Amino acid sequence: MTKHEFEVAMTCEGCSGAVTRILNKLGDVKFEIDLPNKLVWIESDKDVDFLTETLKKCGKDVKYNGTK
Amino acid sequence: LSSVSLGVEGMTCGSCVQSIEQRIGTLPGVIHIKVSLEQKNATVLFDQSHQSPESLSEAIEDMGFESSPSA
Ligand SMILES: [Cu+2]
Ligand SMILES: [Cu+2]
Repeated sequence: MTKHEFEVAMTCEGCSGAVTRILNKLGDVKFEIDLPNKLVWIESDKDVDFLTETLKKCGKDVKYNGTK
Repeated sequence: LSSVSLGVEGMTCGSCVQSIEQRIGTLPGVIHIKVSLEQKNATVLFDQSHQSPESLSEAIEDMGFESSPSA
């Protein structure tokens, strides 16, 4: 599994909660969220475009930082 | 046109309110949306040929908030 780092413009616990629920719905992903640094790490074999689009559903800007 | 009040859970501040209003407000058939943090709901004026209380509620769920078709 590849670990990807994304920057998501989260500003509050509502945002991180939304990201959590969105990723939980995907089912087979492991992830970690660092709200103060606006970072989300996702372990998944799904491609980066798919993961980016999924994260964007929360309505915040998303940037891919690369693999970790 | 039809108006509905949807339950919305999981918002914590004004920026949550804004992201929902922005994203849901641009869906086809949505004329107007007003989200209330205090009342945990969204009042939506919509065109029934494009949306329903269920589809609107699903769109909010898709954003990662919990929503029910009736408030
Ligand atoms: Cu937020
Ligand atoms: Cu918020």
